[in-house]
Amino acid sequence: MNEEELLQRAVEEREKLFKRYEQGREGGAEIDPWEDPGFEVYHTTDRYGFIHDKRLPSKVDIHEAKKLQIEVERQKKWIKMLKSWDNALTSDKLHSRVYKGIPDSLRSIIWCKLLNVEDTKNANSGIYLKMYTLARQYSTDARQIDSDVNRQFREHLHYRERYSIKQQQLFNVLTSYAMYNSEVGYCQGMSGLAGVLLMYMNEEDAFWALHILLTDPKYAMHGYYKEGFPKLTRFLAHHDKIMSKFLPKLKKHFDKHGLDAMLYSLKWFFICFVERVPFSLCLRVWDIHLLDGERVITAMAYTILKIHKRNLLKLNDMDAIVNYIQVKLHKDFLIDDDTVIQNLERSMEELKRAKMDTAGPPQKEEIPTRPFGVFKKPTIDKIVGMRTDKFSEKERQTNELVVLTSDIARENAEKDESYACHPNDSVGGHTGSKFSFEHSNDDASSLLDCEHMGSRRSLADTSVTSTADLSVFSTITRSQAHDNSLDTHSNLSDNSVGGASSVGSGIAATSTHRAFSAHTTPRAASHNQNPDVLRIYVPYSPLDTPVASPHNGDLQKSVPCLFHENKVRIKIDNDELPTPLVEHGQIIKSFNIDTELDLK
Amino acid sequence: MANRSGAAQRPNGTQGKICQFKLVLLGESAVGKSSLVLRFVKGQFHEYQESTIGAAFLTQTVCLDDTTVKFEIWDTAGQERYHSLAPMYYRGAQAAIVVYDITNQDTFGRAKTWVKELQRQASPTIVIALAGNKQDLANKRMVEFEEAQTYADENGLLFMETSAKTALNVNDIFLAIAKKLPKYDQNQGQSGQGQGRRLAEGDQGAKTPGNCCK
Repeated sequence: MNEEELLQRAVEEREKLFKRYEQGREGGAEIDPWEDPGFEVYHTTDRYGFIHDKRLPSKVDIHEAKKLQIEVERQKKWIKMLKSWDNALTSDKLHSRVYKGIPDSLRSIIWCKLLNVEDTKNANSGIYLKMYTLARQYSTDARQIDSDVNRQFREHLHYRERYSIKQQQLFNVLTSYAMYNSEVGYCQGMSGLAGVLLMYMNEEDAFWALHILLTDPKYAMHGYYKEGFPKLTRFLAHHDKIMSKFLPKLKKHFDKHGLDAMLYSLKWFFICFVERVPFSLCLRVWDIHLLDGERVITAMAYTILKIHKRNLLKLNDMDAIVNYIQVKLHKDFLIDDDTVIQNLERSMEELKRAKMDTAGPPQKEEIPTRPFGVFKKPTIDKIVGMRTDKFSEKERQTNELVVLTSDIARENAEKDESYACHPNDSVGGHTGSKFSFEHSNDDASSLLDCEHMGSRRSLADTSVTSTADLSVFSTITRSQAHDNSLDTHSNLSDNSVGGASSVGSGIAATSTHRAFSAHTTPRAASHNQNPDVLRIYVPYSPLDTPVASPHNGDLQKSVPCLFHENKVRIKIDNDELPTPLVEHGQIIKSFNIDTELDLK
Repeated sequence: MANRSGAAQRPNGTQGKICQFKLVLLGESAVGKSSLVLRFVKGQFHEYQESTIGAAFLTQTVCLDDTTVKFEIWDTAGQERYHSLAPMYYRGAQAAIVVYDITNQDTFGRAKTWVKELQRQASPTIVIALAGNKQDLANKRMVEFEEAQTYADENGLLFMETSAKTALNVNDIFLAIAKKLPKYDQNQGQSGQGQGRRLAEGDQGAKTPGNCCK
């Protein structure tokens, strides 16, 4: 085909695609049978509109009903708060209420308020229609957008039918936005973002909400989607840094299996956990993200790995790890949303203390440079959909960086391999490095531990951490820090021993602990060989927090009998209670000091 | 999952050698890369396969005579924006499947560009297969079988038309690749470049798809 023919064909194709969405499902719509899914609507739809491949339970779950009841109560408070929204914006109440979850019936209003959609829309009156008209005439992204609309949220009521009203809106918002923000255009992933917004907003509001998410410095998602993904590389580097500091064992485990964060976390960063955690939890994270901005994503990424660390450490190939993070956690996160959000909040504080809550200021190329809504005629190559053969400078840099990062991780993993001869021993086993010393992972990970022993041990370890001679471990840490060329952050070696973050830095020693044990001081060795003081943690169920049951991973509402099974208590050597219990006042009472027995 | 941990059992009770290969899928967006992998690895097909962001990773093992071949499959995103991440996935790959959609001429053109890039950038010994997917939509065909076959012959590529939906030629194309890959010779010391990593016997388990081990 010559150029003229190609151009003509592109025009025809665009015309055809737009016409289909304009026409919708009305008479004569060309829909292949496979394009319309055959779900049974009423019998399997959840409260958000997602259709599940199973029957709804015949009885209302008591737990679920109670939650709905609470939500109704909360609605009243929210409606009151809405009346004086400007005051609310500055109040602590808003913070705590958003973290408790915005009632679903009010999400439409509150999300728009949090994003300040109204003002942006009013300031740009008429623009959306103008962009749509331009897209109608010149869009070069229509084909890609069409193919993504055809597979976005197809198990959701609104998007179920081909060319349904929401599918039309999704197509319109994305094609129009690609014209408005021509620097980003359309990038895969944006359909998920706009898709969620459209579940709670009308077309024009969703357009502006999308724009705010991309360009408001608080969210700045523009840099994720832009050619070369500059923000992604920055956030992944930061994510790696957080892992090296707070989850070094897991980081080494991932490195050993060649698992780069790039592989499992893209939907975390690009679409704020859509299709990676259950939708109800995803909405809760969105609520908080809209309130507090991009640092929420960083903290949530860390929280997911922290909560599931123990289970992830047990998986010994990349396939299984990726499947766990991407598929299993989407189906079932194993712990309830409220507990996850509590953990998220704690992670945010933890990262803040370590001055790692943000990934630093954006690079120049992450910030939009082209003015919005200024039309530039697409090049012929773009119109006919010709691919460029060469990378742009930024793409080339990204490419090199990505390759370099994976090389370094592999080299480190190979180095570690040569130290540790039986890596499985230290992973949730009872031999080898027995204490995890992972201050930040105590209660959350024990909730998910498949072995009862593990959960008890993890809190026992926590208390040991507070009294143990950390200097030994920080010595190892320091020597390790030199090896860890990925970690450019100097916190590992700089932190003073005993501070909150130094406990974290002690973690770095765990996986190489045995390799270095020949050099440990007698005092540290005594902790391993003959611990004279131990605290035993009793698994409990604070406020009916669901706990993963040992074998099938199903949720239980409580673990009533465990308390009595743990008769053996060992003397607590100081007045300090095991730290994590402090979070749940009610429990501390029942776990009283007088239930202890001195086994000696 | 469970049967993945068992050792590879041969019909006669002995264990053959196990080779591990990295395979990457490339091609235009929405031609069915993820669907081919899903069909091959899990025997499933989803009409509305979610779009791949970045890349996905899966493994599958096939048996060939006395050899068990474990594929580490990297399934990449098709949109051009994600192209800058692709070399990370095809670097060091011993095999690639370049996929196009037989109902869309452009995707065939794009496939050719991928082949060129692989020939230029990837390992010189890489085994490349061309898959004309969506064969079940042959009534809407825009790329003729012969045209693709000729192109494949000229470039030394394996070629098959496949359908992830009906499973046509899906296992076959992976098996054909497995056959063509240089297996590690037990009598030699080190595995050479571009060859499969030989795993210690019993170190890695094998799962056998379909009936290749009957």
